[in-house]
Amino acid sequence: MGRGAGREYSPAATTAENGGGKKKQKEKELDELKKEVAMDDHKLSLDELGRKYQVDLSKGLTNQRAQDILARDGPNALTPPPTTPEWVKFCRQLFGGFSILLWIGAILCFLAYGIQAAMEDEPSNDNLYLGVVLAAVVIVTGCFSYYQEAKSSKIMDSFKNMVPQQALVVREGEKMQINAEEVVVGDLVEVKGGDRVPADLRIISSHGCKVDNSSLTGESEPQTRSPEFTHENPLETRNICFFSTNCVEGTARGIVIATGDRTVMGRIATLASGLEVGRTPIAMEIEHFIQLITGVAVFLGVSFFVLSLILGYSWLEAVIFLIGIIVANVPEGLLATVTVCLTLTAKRMARKNCLVKNLEAVETLGSTSTICSDKTGTLTQNRMTVAHMWFDNQIHEADTTEDQSGATFDKRSPTWTALSRIAGLCNRAVFKAGQENISVSKRDTAGDASESALLKCIELSCGSVRKMRDRNPKVAEIPFNSTNKYQLSIHEREDSPQSHVLVMKGAPERILDRCSTILMQGKEIPLDKEMQDAFQNAYMELGGLGERVLGFCQLNLPSGKFPRGFKFDTDELNFPTEKLCFVGLMSMIDPPRAAVPDAVGKCRSAGIKVIMVTGDHPITAKAIAKGVGIISEGNETVEDIAARLNIPVSQVNPREAKACVVHGSDLKDMTAEQLDEILKNHTEIVFARTSPQQKLIIVEGCQRLGAIVAVTGDGVNDSPALKKADIGIAMGITGSDVSKQAANMILLDDNFASIVTGVEEGRLIFDNLKKSIAYTLTSNIPEITPFLLFIIANIPLPLGTITILCIDLGTDMVPAISLAYESAESDIMKRAPRNPRSDNLVNHRLIGMAYGQIGMIQALAGFFTYFVILAENGFKPSDLLGIRLNWEDRFFNDLEDSYGQQWTYEQRKVLEFTCHTAFFVSIVIAQWADLIICKTRHNSVFQQGMKNKILIFGIMEETFLAAFLSYTPGMDTALRMYPLKLSWWFCATPYSILIFVYDEIRKLIIRRHPGGWLERETYY
Amino acid sequence: MRRQLRSRRAPASPYAYRYRLDDQDEVNQNYLADEEEEAEEEARVMVVPDLEEEEEEEEEEEEEEIEEEEKEEEKGQGQPAGNAWWQRWQIVSEYLWDPEKRMSLARTGLILVIYFFFYASLAAVITLCMYTLFLTISPYMPTFTERVKPPGVMIRPFAHSLNFNFNVSEPDTWQHYVISLNGFLQGYNDSLQEEMNVDCPPGQYFIQDGDEDEDKKACQFKRSFLKNCSGLEDPTFGYSTGQPCILLKMNRIVGFRPELGDPVKVSCKVQRGDENDIRSINYYPESASFDLRYYPYYGKLTHVNYTSPLVAMHFTDVVKNQAVPVQCQLKGKGIINDVINDRFVGRVIFTLNIET
Repeated sequence: MGRGAGREYSPAATTAENGGGKKKQKEKELDELKKEVAMDDHKLSLDELGRKYQVDLSKGLTNQRAQDILARDGPNALTPPPTTPEWVKFCRQLFGGFSILLWIGAILCFLAYGIQAAMEDEPSNDNLYLGVVLAAVVIVTGCFSYYQEAKSSKIMDSFKNMVPQQALVVREGEKMQINAEEVVVGDLVEVKGGDRVPADLRIISSHGCKVDNSSLTGESEPQTRSPEFTHENPLETRNICFFSTNCVEGTARGIVIATGDRTVMGRIATLASGLEVGRTPIAMEIEHFIQLITGVAVFLGVSFFVLSLILGYSWLEAVIFLIGIIVANVPEGLLATVTVCLTLTAKRMARKNCLVKNLEAVETLGSTSTICSDKTGTLTQNRMTVAHMWFDNQIHEADTTEDQSGATFDKRSPTWTALSRIAGLCNRAVFKAGQENISVSKRDTAGDASESALLKCIELSCGSVRKMRDRNPKVAEIPFNSTNKYQLSIHEREDSPQSHVLVMKGAPERILDRCSTILMQGKEIPLDKEMQDAFQNAYMELGGLGERVLGFCQLNLPSGKFPRGFKFDTDELNFPTEKLCFVGLMSMIDPPRAAVPDAVGKCRSAGIKVIMVTGDHPITAKAIAKGVGIISEGNETVEDIAARLNIPVSQVNPREAKACVVHGSDLKDMTAEQLDEILKNHTEIVFARTSPQQKLIIVEGCQRLGAIVAVTGDGVNDSPALKKADIGIAMGITGSDVSKQAANMILLDDNFASIVTGVEEGRLIFDNLKKSIAYTLTSNIPEITPFLLFIIANIPLPLGTITILCIDLGTDMVPAISLAYESAESDIMKRAPRNPRSDNLVNHRLIGMAYGQIGMIQALAGFFTYFVILAENGFKPSDLLGIRLNWEDRFFNDLEDSYGQQWTYEQRKVLEFTCHTAFFVSIVIAQWADLIICKTRHNSVFQQGMKNKILIFGIMEETFLAAFLSYTPGMDTALRMYPLKLSWWFCATPYSILIFVYDEIRKLIIRRHPGGWLERETYY
Repeated sequence: MRRQLRSRRAPASPYAYRYRLDDQDEVNQNYLADEEEEAEEEARVMVVPDLEEEEEEEEEEEEEEIEEEEKEEEKGQGQPAGNAWWQRWQIVSEYLWDPEKRMSLARTGLILVIYFFFYASLAAVITLCMYTLFLTISPYMPTFTERVKPPGVMIRPFAHSLNFNFNVSEPDTWQHYVISLNGFLQGYNDSLQEEMNVDCPPGQYFIQDGDEDEDKKACQFKRSFLKNCSGLEDPTFGYSTGQPCILLKMNRIVGFRPELGDPVKVSCKVQRGDENDIRSINYYPESASFDLRYYPYYGKLTHVNYTSPLVAMHFTDVVKNQAVPVQCQLKGKGIINDVINDRFVGRVIFTLNIET
């Protein structure tokens, strides 16, 4: 959508637009990406450039002018996304989602109290207390979750590099180190290998400068920068360096053409922060839940309002009943329970290297149905490594694993010795100092990525390269350049005191052209047609793996013609560079991380579609996709089928191909429908050469098809997609700050496999939240029914407000939370992701089970205890009906019971509160069984076992709490709870057993008849 | 073959030429610089004139498509709210009547039946439990009586208030007390008591052994015991003269026995303020006590005609025209009259405000 609109807008039209609606604003921001095309600094000649920025290209700006520009443009830093003020965040916690329900409840309570206070002389304070407690619950939980989020954002802050970045600028002809923030447009800046580019630069001179643009484009290969204008597109031209990319090697001088938010990087960051973020699935589920609960509450409230009017209560009484019933339906403890459950999971995930920034995002990963993964750094190690070698007419596999646990090849061949010598000598990369204790593959190097790969490979297999270079000192060298496409160096031979060896590496076909012989098992044989074909096959095979292939050759210079001390002239070429001896090929790739193929496999079996979205080359992308299983073995793309059947691509039915590699330029020309078509019809998709905007389009496409999309990425180019995704996952180590800010979750170890853990935890918490909610909601019925019977049957109130709160906020809490520790019933990674439309957190079946069935049994347990206590003390059930008015009359101090005894008001109130306590204890006892049945939704408890120690602790805790509340001296005045006789504890046990047996039978039937009627009606 | 040689990273692939479209399409940005070394070289190889034309055509087509798309979108935007409601209505109507399966409410019907049986069995369970409950409790004797002990106290006349405000000269202000007392004392009429109850010896418990379910006899408490407060001589119970009679009774408790030889006595005094506000009180019976013969009480079922003993307080000389708080306490062994929470256990507090 955004793309379609974006294409219509010309830059001029966009700039003319000033606000006007959110959508336009968004389009405008999306269009920001386009505007850099209008940049023309790369086309200007150096003179024009100097004139444009009024700067002397050798002396730089004057200090005064730099000050002025700084004052005009502001510091050279990305404006952090408008951080929501802390109090807004706090208020969001206080008034978001579930809290609203409790607030409304609290307000209704105060309203009811107000009415009562105005109406009666001595209003009961129950409603006031309830209102205060509700408000307190919201505030406490709000503070808790605010604290949680503040803690994770603190971890976020620790990622930020606290050391201020420095930049070397030339002002008034003097070089000076200044803080990168003070760099201004027009400044003359020098960068060298290892620096971070401080702003967008137009290069005016360079020496072998290469930059790593991977954080902008996702391409891991360093690119040369030079003053020449090479491409219309500023992103492709060689004379522009971009802010916050890294200079890998060489030096360059450039004029700053943009700073801060006006840089290309800044624009993408702005785009990301401008995107609207959808709500998390769990937030939607909670809203759905609130709707259900509110529906039930309002239905009950209104029907009893009407009923109480019919029964002859006054309007005001009826209104108070209405409010009372609605409030009684509010599960006070649930907000806290859900928050704690999510927090526990977030902590568990953090321990497994998934840092969750937003509590609600904990579950999102569990409902994810599509993962759009970036390639570089996430799926791969982001480190060029030698993967294959070809020598002795055989392809050898090198060890590419991170920990060097892979297979090695036969190193005894003399050809390998020659090859390793060339790779080691004809190589300018060196290890940075002071890394002796680090394993070779993890050491930092200075130099080109492929040379570093060779260096590490040789270091690993042949020992110290530095010593090798010391033994074979270099006497001459021709560095790599794009016209020669080779690099050569001449060394003194260690094995022969007089002669030199010429070693050369470069593009394989160029190298082969220069060779007349080939080294086979240490012997030079002529390079005939057969060998050339063998080379060709090997080259194609390695190239087809998406690897970068280099060819190696050597020539032992005859000592007679080139004795020691001979002056090799690299300009005149006074030595042979033809008729060399071909030694072999080495190919390099950024290899996949070890754990990734397994993780991708797990995702697939969990029904999650993994899509690779990368800025890299399609061939490389496809090779990696095949390597990690994103394109699984045996699945072909349209092109593969065409190649196999030897027919044109257009004749292949695209439906036959499950896999698909889409090129960014094709994607650009696609309509939304075509994209949907691709996303729908192919299970294994790789998008290559994609731009940040296209990543966004892909994410939107998936979301359009109803998928819940997770996006992983590390670069700035990923951040818009990270933001747009249902859950954005950034990389903790390699990720840029911008991407971390845009993401909801951060993989602390950068490992794709951690996502699988996240998915597992997310799914588990969804299941367990269901159980937890089912458990908590059940006690709602025994809490409401007493009040309803109080209204209809005019009996003394069986359960009071305080005891209800004791259940909701006391005894029910720990058991409900303990369900979060419950282990999965079956392999949750073997089932499809939940359908967000039909598989809800709380559905009518759950409400039916909790309210209609188990809750009813619990209510009976409570009422039975209530009747037992009243009957044993003199009030038989038949005499209770209609007793309410006299019972509640303070001046009626000789109320007769069934035995003719007379009770004072206070005496019968004590009896009533004893009943409240007993009712409360009965609910606790019935909740034992409920907790045990809520452990499982499908399995029997006997299959699941009682391994959850927290749950057992929960049962003990609620029992002890109940006993404590009942028997502690002073509770009678504090909470009006009275000690119970031992026998009253047992009144509810038959019902507890009934609940257990009933549910076990229900689950047994469900297991026996999968998909049967009972499952459809009661499986929540 | 040549082409395969050319590129290090893009060997034979049908896609190879399509990648290069990036380079030709200058209108659309491409963020991803191709490998620099290849760029020029490949551009040379890849000039395929046909492709360029095709591409232009494609673009035109695409633009049209986009326009159409946007139009559709505009149309679509007006509807969503209505759509949601329409969909909801459809779901509801399908729920009520599913035209495909030709079932109406079948699902709901079935679940209602199931719930009916479920609740029916629950009803059976609770009935069974209640039945066992009734088996375990005695109809004659409550299982526990500690909650109703110690006995509470109540006074008559009772008019939902414990403030006795009346004006002696205005009968309307005290007439309802008289009516209340008269009504209350109907059950104590001498004729009725003599007919129904027995005259048992005073000063000792009236213990009736025998089976629990045997009917028990009750001791007489005649209205005439109350003398001046019986309403027999003074039908206004002294209210007309500003000397009101107030009757006090102790709450009945099954099996309750006051300490032997020490009947429970009643004594009233000013609760707060000047002790002399009440200068004299006459008690009837003169002992101001509840005789032991009225105890124990055997419960409503068997002790049918039991009449609670009374003590009448005749406030013969009370300060007029001001509220006098009076506290009447029970005194005796085993009687508690100072529970803070319950002002009706062993005592009763009321105010007299007699105006003249």
